[in-house]
Amino acid sequence: MFGNRQPAFLPLLCLLATCFTSPLNAVADEGVDKIRQRGTLIWGADQEGGGPFIYPDPSNPEQLIGFEVELAQLIAEHFGVKPVFFQGQWDKLPDLLDRGDIDLVLNGYEWTSNRAARYGVSIPYYIFELQLLGRLADDSLKSWDDLLTPINGRKRKVSLLGGSAAQDYIERFGGEDIEVALFEGATDAMDATELALSGIDANLQDLPIWLFYGKGFPQLRPIGAPVGRGYYVAMTRKVDQDLLRAVNEILLAALQDGRLHRIFAKYGIWNETQMFRGLETDESGSSVGIPDPAAANSETDDATEVYQPSGGWEVVRKRGGLLVKSAGMTVLLSVTSMPIAVLIGLLVALTRLYGPWYLGKPAAIYVEIVRGTPLVLQLYLIYFLVPKLLDILFPGMELTINAFAAAVIGLAMNYSAYEAEIYRGGIQSIPRGQMEAAISLGMSRSLALRRVIIPQATRLVLPPMTNDFIALFKDTAVCSVITVVELSKQYYIQARSAGAIVELGLLTALLYLAMSYPLSVLTNRMEKNLNLERRG
Amino acid sequence: MIELTQIVKRYQQHEVLRGVSLTVADGEVCVLLGPSGGGKSTLLRTINGLESFDSGSIRVSDILLNAAAGPEREAALLQIRRRVGMVFQQFNLFPHRSVLENVTEAPIHVLKQPRDVAVQNARDILARVGMAEKEHARPGSLSGGQQQRVAIARTLAMKPEAILFDEPTSALDPRTTAEVISVMTDLAASGQRMIVVTHAMSFARTVAHRIHILHAGRIAESGPPEQIFGDPQEAVTREFLSEAAS
Repeated sequence: MFGNRQPAFLPLLCLLATCFTSPLNAVADEGVDKIRQRGTLIWGADQEGGGPFIYPDPSNPEQLIGFEVELAQLIAEHFGVKPVFFQGQWDKLPDLLDRGDIDLVLNGYEWTSNRAARYGVSIPYYIFELQLLGRLADDSLKSWDDLLTPINGRKRKVSLLGGSAAQDYIERFGGEDIEVALFEGATDAMDATELALSGIDANLQDLPIWLFYGKGFPQLRPIGAPVGRGYYVAMTRKVDQDLLRAVNEILLAALQDGRLHRIFAKYGIWNETQMFRGLETDESGSSVGIPDPAAANSETDDATEVYQPSGGWEVVRKRGGLLVKSAGMTVLLSVTSMPIAVLIGLLVALTRLYGPWYLGKPAAIYVEIVRGTPLVLQLYLIYFLVPKLLDILFPGMELTINAFAAAVIGLAMNYSAYEAEIYRGGIQSIPRGQMEAAISLGMSRSLALRRVIIPQATRLVLPPMTNDFIALFKDTAVCSVITVVELSKQYYIQARSAGAIVELGLLTALLYLAMSYPLSVLTNRMEKNLNLERRG
Repeated sequence: MIELTQIVKRYQQHEVLRGVSLTVADGEVCVLLGPSGGGKSTLLRTINGLESFDSGSIRVSDILLNAAAGPEREAALLQIRRRVGMVFQQFNLFPHRSVLENVTEAPIHVLKQPRDVAVQNARDILARVGMAEKEHARPGSLSGGQQQRVAIARTLAMKPEAILFDEPTSALDPRTTAEVISVMTDLAASGQRMIVVTHAMSFARTVAHRIHILHAGRIAESGPPEQIFGDPQEAVTREFLSEAAS
């Protein structure tokens, strides 16, 4: 369903991940005890997915609402604890289970046999279907079959969420005969369809999202009946069987006494399909995923939480504060990681230039590896795999690494490689006579470096370093993959739930600019001074 | 006393120094003359370790420097460099520091002199080379002759037992050359021991106590200036002097 970036190195990560899976599965049936002791149920979701699942309350954007928020409340109440929301990138939520950051994933995860094999998956809490959407004004598209008919000599184009059930469905239905356009946000895909961007004819959307957001897209209309039934399930660690069983009991009870009905109705997504259920589980409590149709219930409800597209200054006024707050995180990440990057970079450069070969070679390899791999991969490895490694090396000590620290380490490490190369170039460009003069005065090599070479090289490397700082500053956006909410993640969350892509986008751009422009000015000034000095 | 014994240095197959021995007594001004490529600068630079050598030894007072690399050689070099200063053809002043800071840098950070002592001393020395007015200037704003005088002051601040001059006037025009030569002449008169590689014949003739003609990695002839300029014994010397005069 939601945004699902599928980087090319995913197979590699999966391979690495499977190498490190066993040690956390040591003790079973402690899940519920732990939650009760802690007094909180920590559940993971991604606010960026938006309504009706989990999204910032339009009247109070600091508050999260959505049917999954209420489901988490329901489950936590049963245990007599407080629900605590944990923000994660949607496609990385299961990894957060593995890391032990969260007890439960509750975020529109569809039942699949793979997931059931690897995680504890609950009985469905919601049965979703897919709705084909076309434009009101487009008479050429009235049925699913029309999708297979080329128009003006070209194939029909359908917008989809990348990696979603809808994508699978379209590929099975149309194969080569339908072109697809992949998006990262559900509302983005609907937007593009309504505006007929890049020749898009239709959108295949999760029905609950259409039911919730439909009012915001008056130019779209449903085509045909919903198709492709699927099941949203809650996920736990495989070992937390007691937690899974309890979640199943709570869901079943809530289904029978009408509480589930009330929650879904509130968001306008209750429908008769919810009565068709596959509730069979295996001995561990995982849903086996076989639908078991039950009697339909034809009650109708009026939704109280509905999507109202908003825009203009109202949105900026209401949500701007959150963006500014997240800009603080962006600044904090930058100013913490850059000095560390500078320090490591300097050490690496000096080691390469003056160290013995058995240190210099590894330093060179470090630079090549760090420069040659994407930052997002490095962050992922540090955040998700280092704790597993620590657990193998120091079993039972429960060593872990929090998201902010992982982000700082990742950014610092990544940029240290670039800084190292800048310093190496800077030091090499200082004439040899400087070192000769310094050691001829009786200085040791290290004193000469400190007093003579590095101060001169520093002035040469300051402008490229400042450039790197600006780049690092913008690269902090990548940290959202490891659950750090900084400015750009906050933008996606707020813009997608408010539908104010332009207004909040401008504000976000302004914030980035306001932070990076002074640095640019500084770089220019330093370059000018340096030139003046050189001319002497 | 500085004593070089049978110094040999090779670049790959090529022998640049083929067993050079010479002694410089206290207070002596020793000038190395000879055609380009004769090994003068290389020999000078072996004395404070800017060049290594393959065999032979160097003694500076009680410090012995051998050819073999290693911590012993490094330790000996640190000692030698504190006692033997060097003045370069290209000055090699520290461009990021003022004239005064160039002079106080090593006394403060190598000799651990208190800052005020080092500054006072530096001002005296700058006055001696005629650069007192420029103590706040950056090297980049000075003429070549001024820079070289500051470089000499920088070396003097370490109170060296000897100063090595590596073609100190070759990068200068005639007028500024004269400034530097005059400073060096004053130094020699004050009893400063110096080893000078130079093409400035008048300096060699009037100031040197002893001249060595280096040719093809060997000392072809040694003697006081009167002998070298008045009554050269070797054909190599005569040839060099006639070429230098033309």
